Amino acid sequence: MKITLTVNGKKYEVDVKPNETLLDVLRDKIGIKSVKAGCWRGECGICTVLLDGKPVKSCLVLAAEADGSEIVTVEGLMKDGRLAPLQKAFIEHGAIQCGFCTSAFVLTAHWLLSRNPNVTREEVIEAINGLICRCTGYEQIIEAILAAAKYYKK
Amino acid sequence: MSLILPKFEYYKPSTLDEALELLAKFKGDARILAGGTDLIVDLRSRIKKPKAVIDIKGIKELHKLEYIEGKGLIVGATVTLNELLEHPIVKSKFHVLYDSVRQLADMQLRNRATLVGNICNASPAADSAPALLVLDAKVKAVSKRGERVIEIKDFFKWVKKTALEPDEMVTEVFIPEPPEGSRGKYYKATRNVEDLAIVGVAGLVAYPNEPSKRIVRLAYASVAPTPIRIYEVEELFKRDEPLPKLIDEAVNIALRKVSPITDVRGSDWYRRHLVDVLTRKLLIELFLEG
Repeated sequence: MKITLTVNGKKYEVDVKPNETLLDVLRDKIGIKSVKAGCWRGECGICTVLLDGKPVKSCLVLAAEADGSEIVTVEGLMKDGRLAPLQKAFIEHGAIQCGFCTSAFVLTAHWLLSRNPNVTREEVIEAINGLICRCTGYEQIIEAILAAAKYYKK
Repeated sequence: MSLILPKFEYYKPSTLDEALELLAKFKGDARILAGGTDLIVDLRSRIKKPKAVIDIKGIKELHKLEYIEGKGLIVGATVTLNELLEHPIVKSKFHVLYDSVRQLADMQLRNRATLVGNICNASPAADSAPALLVLDAKVKAVSKRGERVIEIKDFFKWVKKTALEPDEMVTEVFIPEPPEGSRGKYYKATRNVEDLAIVGVAGLVAYPNEPSKRIVRLAYASVAPTPIRIYEVEELFKRDEPLPKLIDEAVNIALRKVSPITDVRGSDWYRRHLVDVLTRKLLIELFLEG
């Protein structure tokens, strides 16, 4: 079946099978490799993308279900080829070690701060507690998100 | 585990009639897809191998979330858990439901997962189930043959088995207005947020200081083949006796009624220990708050 996806503002028409997931299609058909595959069962959260604005685990979404929707991956947060302040904050706070989980954390943080720039430490922890970082740099990740909050205040 | 999903036919009906037609046609060989956070895991691990998957997110009437003052809350089959949490009335009136759904999986999964899906999956560990049990929720099951209402206490039949017939699906859950002045809470013992409950306890208390009017309800996850409400403790609390004594008796009744297993998350002994500790903690807090 044919589906239409808008990924980071660009429209794609893709031929998919019913048993393909959004994760499969983003990586293998559209070629966005920043979306990582981890556990394939919704536990690690590394395949997180924004689906119509909300963070979801793309290994548990069928490509067919996403027909007509808008997807944002970590590349989509850049403006004019430059890193967004949130992305810079991750670098500045040492919130990246191996980088495997980074896209998922950045996208989740972007959603969180867009909804509420006055977020508390507890709310940050609650929002990211479904994501696993095996380098266990959680403290730096929390600091980076809290530091980036000011860029979301109007 | 193969990472590729098994083959199935995908349908996305836009009306309930079409969905019911498909369910009848496939005679139990079709699965309903709402959030997919349980179904896709079960497909990938080949626990479920349906011929057809019926995505119900195109059926507008199932996305109903409505509070009727004095009556209760209607939660349609495609309402996500985060949508439920964001509804102000859920937080202010349905405390025990709010508390349990907040502890259900994580924020990303709650953007997809639904309340109806959580009960239809019928895991003994379903976090929303004890809350729905103490709130006397009613499940609407619909098929081409007609519709019926199943009390939540009769809905769970065994591990991953519900009272639904193969051609039936749940369109909504109705949660009656909680008893006036009641407070509710859910305690979940778990290894991490992602994992299922080792033990979950939901409690609801109203009129804590008036024995004759007092209402106390307790229900549990992960201590029996299905989520269970322990009705036997409820009469007990109408007695005008010191609360510590009543709580002791309630814990003893609960411990007699549960039948936990030993698995990777904990031993049956440890689960019994948690039933004891969490029931006391929950009741003491609900009584003090009231």
